[in-house]
Amino acid sequence: MENGPNTNTDEYLRIYAQMARIRTFEDNANQLYLSAKMPGLTHMYSGQEAVAVGICEALRTTDKVTSTHRGHGHCVAKGANFKEMFCELLGKEEGYCRGKGGSMHIADQSNGNLGANAIVGGSMGIATGAAFSAKLLGTDDVTVCFFGDGATAQGLLYEVMNMAALWKLPVIYACENNGYSEYTKTAEIAAGSITARAEAFGIEAHTVDGQDVLAVNALSERLVARARRGEGPFFIELMTYRYHGHHVGDINREYYRTKDEEKHWRDDRDPITLFARHLMSEGIATAEDLDAIRAGIKDEASAAVAYALAAKYPDVSEVDMHVYAA
Amino acid sequence: MREITLSQAVNEALAEEMRRDPTVFIIGEDVAEAGTPFKVLSGLVEEFGTHRVVDTPIAEPGFTGIAVGAAMTGTRPVVDLMFGDFLFLIMDQLCNQAAKTHYMSGGKLNVPLVLRTNLGATRRSAAQHSQSLHALVAHIPGLKVALPSSAYEAKGLMKTAIRDNNPVVIFEDKLMYQEKAPVPEGEFLIPFGVANVLREGHDITLIGTSSMVQVCAKAADILAKDGISAEVIDPRTIVPLDEAALVKSAKKTSRVIVVDEGHQSFGVTSEIASRINEKAFYHLDAPALRMGAMDVPVPFSPALEDITVPTPEGVAEAARKLVRGEMIHAA
Amino acid sequence: MPLDVIMPALGMAQDTGLIVAWHKHPGEAVAVGDVLFEVETDKATMEVEAQGDGFLTGVAAEAGQEVPVGQVIAQISDSAEAPAPAPAPDAKPYAIPEGDTIIMPTLGMAQDSGLLVRWLKAPGDAVQADDPLFEVETDKSTVEVAAGQDGFLAATLADEGEDVPVGQIIAIISAEKPANPVTRSAAQGSVAPKVVEKPSQAPPRASVAKPEHPAPIAPGGRILASPKARRLALEQGLDLARLVAAGHAQPFHASDIDTLRAMPVASAQTTAAAPARRLTAEIAQDGFAAFADWAAQEAGISDSDALLAGLAAASLGQGDATINVQAFERDRLFVGDGTQATAQQVPEGQPDLVLRDLRFTAITALCLGPEDQPVLTLTRSGTGYAVTFECAADQMSAPRAIAVLSAFAGRMQQPLRHLL
Repeated sequence: MENGPNTNTDEYLRIYAQMARIRTFEDNANQLYLSAKMPGLTHMYSGQEAVAVGICEALRTTDKVTSTHRGHGHCVAKGANFKEMFCELLGKEEGYCRGKGGSMHIADQSNGNLGANAIVGGSMGIATGAAFSAKLLGTDDVTVCFFGDGATAQGLLYEVMNMAALWKLPVIYACENNGYSEYTKTAEIAAGSITARAEAFGIEAHTVDGQDVLAVNALSERLVARARRGEGPFFIELMTYRYHGHHVGDINREYYRTKDEEKHWRDDRDPITLFARHLMSEGIATAEDLDAIRAGIKDEASAAVAYALAAKYPDVSEVDMHVYAA
Repeated sequence: MREITLSQAVNEALAEEMRRDPTVFIIGEDVAEAGTPFKVLSGLVEEFGTHRVVDTPIAEPGFTGIAVGAAMTGTRPVVDLMFGDFLFLIMDQLCNQAAKTHYMSGGKLNVPLVLRTNLGATRRSAAQHSQSLHALVAHIPGLKVALPSSAYEAKGLMKTAIRDNNPVVIFEDKLMYQEKAPVPEGEFLIPFGVANVLREGHDITLIGTSSMVQVCAKAADILAKDGISAEVIDPRTIVPLDEAALVKSAKKTSRVIVVDEGHQSFGVTSEIASRINEKAFYHLDAPALRMGAMDVPVPFSPALEDITVPTPEGVAEAARKLVRGEMIHAA
Repeated sequence: MPLDVIMPALGMAQDTGLIVAWHKHPGEAVAVGDVLFEVETDKATMEVEAQGDGFLTGVAAEAGQEVPVGQVIAQISDSAEAPAPAPAPDAKPYAIPEGDTIIMPTLGMAQDSGLLVRWLKAPGDAVQADDPLFEVETDKSTVEVAAGQDGFLAATLADEGEDVPVGQIIAIISAEKPANPVTRSAAQGSVAPKVVEKPSQAPPRASVAKPEHPAPIAPGGRILASPKARRLALEQGLDLARLVAAGHAQPFHASDIDTLRAMPVASAQTTAAAPARRLTAEIAQDGFAAFADWAAQEAGISDSDALLAGLAAASLGQGDATINVQAFERDRLFVGDGTQATAQQVPEGQPDLVLRDLRFTAITALCLGPEDQPVLTLTRSGTGYAVTFECAADQMSAPRAIAVLSAFAGRMQQPLRHLL
């Protein structure tokens, strides 16, 4: 495991806790969905925690991120609360979007999260535009655009990378390559090299192990700092894995991937287990310390779920509210 | 009062707003030194610099998406879409992203973006550079749609659009760029959702949008010679729509023709006529008539193109029939 | 606290799951991650894992059973002792029989509820679609409502005398004879429709109160009129059918309402009831006899009827006019153009005016009332004549009637003036 620039114990435990928070959030969301208490459709981030946490721990609150349909992880990593998130998942008034967005559209602008996007590749322009704003307004905020390997097939990416490179915008394109574009292997939808596509625009591109949170964080710290200084844009391909199907309910997956493959990633490549091992071997935390962290998070999640289940739905009068801004 | 062209009016509006608010910027193809093919933006880059008058590659979805993100994060972009026909290229960014962001975020995020584009046929530009597609965006909740009908309207509506906190699509009639009209010196705004009664009358109401306002005014001149008194109304914005003013006029004259340059079917004329039928039914002495562009791709040949759009003579003839009480489209 | 074991929602459009097999027995210890049971949906078979540690209790669904998603099928408890079993999957607050539902029908225009006067069938009775099932009273009338379908009256869900909101289910008709027909009142709560709701399609049998004003329907069918014309007619109490009867072209517009308003209230068929106009004029000196003599001698015109008709036609002042001259044993039609001294006799036509020549009778005054056409009657009066003009108010306006009579009287007094 690579040593990050920050070896502070608190920061390490925070990284661990943030990853555990994402996993716990998703376990609860999965249960809510399976028990038919959560409407709609949802996509689990479990397995990719090191990506969101490694990157977001390198960001400030005012830095922006754009997220995807598989967005709960980015949202938690950027600082969102369980209570408002579960309320949003259940369509309740106290949700981040007053129940109007749901799982696929959580936005938390107070933490710089410009929102999850249910159009694959739909947020690439928005992320690049946020970086454009920062440059025009003279702030040194950086924007990270999260998207999956499937979204590299969208033309918009290449239009905005071209402009971002021409105008040296402070944006980092973070491609989470979890190996599958919905129900299809990435190799079947992506020709050539994904990083080479960014390099064709003169954008510096990196590939990193997306299960190694310290490696992700170290690279992110470097690139974010450089982007702040006007050296962007950058491109990162993060090699990772999603434990669940494309969406909850995608249970019959053997036509596109084997159970052995899933078991291998869960048992040998889990980002939380790997990082826990590192913390213990470095003497930063004991197994009991980590158990206590996880137990606390589990209690917090249970309380948030109970709160959200009991919370009230928005009044029907809200249906045509927020169509237009005042 | 001084007279300036519609092109100059738009240019003035943008310059005034960019001086007033440093977060306003223009983004699009050939907007800087070229000042767009219609030369509407000439001189702006010299005053405001290339960081606020931003030339882009020919990548409409890309620069529209960038504008949406910029609008969400503290700036007020004015997107220049060279031809209204290119709306089809940016539908996801405009309709799935810009239009829905405020709603999906429960009111937390705003997209104060102006999309400047144009409409209008009879410029011999054929099917992909002549369309009037404002109905397409008017259908999407979250977008506002302004249709200036003169230099004066273009300036006042543009300034209001830039100050609005929502995505606004403003369609200029590309045949009117060199048309002059009296425009007062100095600051003025035209509020959205307030129709303009250009001419009062009592026999029939002609509701025209954008390029068709002049057509309605000319038709009213023709009708006046026949002793028919036509009221001419310009809604100015179709979203929001000043329904009350249109219904009031319909009740007063009891006859209405809605004239718009978009395709007639499923279009602006259908929507307005339908609302009048709903809200003024018992006051109508004739069916509210739609006159839009023919439901054909815009043809190139002048001989064919000219007959696809409503004309003053055509509107006047239809108005005469309504006033005479002739059965319209009887089965 | 026990943890519920729930039939999971797995597919995008899945309502139920089939329990293929339980992998744990009731009372058996389970740990997080243990496979509890196997479930089959339309897509695949899946193993469902325990979400908590404890003992499997309260198993409420067996292998082979199809269970709605979200339903609790077991619990994971702290002890192996089975607590009270989970609620039965399909417990219902009321045992309402299966069948077609009958609702309180909407009978009036602004009716919110109907009073159930009485049931015409008893629970358990066989019914035919046409059989009257119950009687309803609305603000307007009492109506028998037919069953609408064949079957058995399996439940009555409203009592006689109850006021039931329209649309509420008040009966169930089942295909099979019910073993235990249900009787309930509407006050015990409405029943959500379990099966496709069928409002009673059978028309009410009793005649509903007749509208006071029959709709203005022309003989050819619907009257074509603009919405504004209809509204104005309604507001002013005018009947558009009279425009049709008077031969005005459809569609009618607001301007036709002005015409309609100017028309007298009565139509042609009810002339007798229409207000009448009766005017009389005295002609002191008989100018006509001398004129007739002069015409016979100087112009060879011996037909005095033609002369009278010519004067009458000229008096109407409308160009060509058809005059029906009636006298004792004479009934002739003339057409005069108003400029010639005489009118030409014609075999047939629709008269504009009847001229009744009673100069040679004993009658001196009369009042016959309006007829199909305006009537001018000449009677003797002293050395001259009296002329009486009668018409219905809708045949001629008062000013015109005065003008016609004045013109005719003047011409009778000085016929030569007519020629000049």
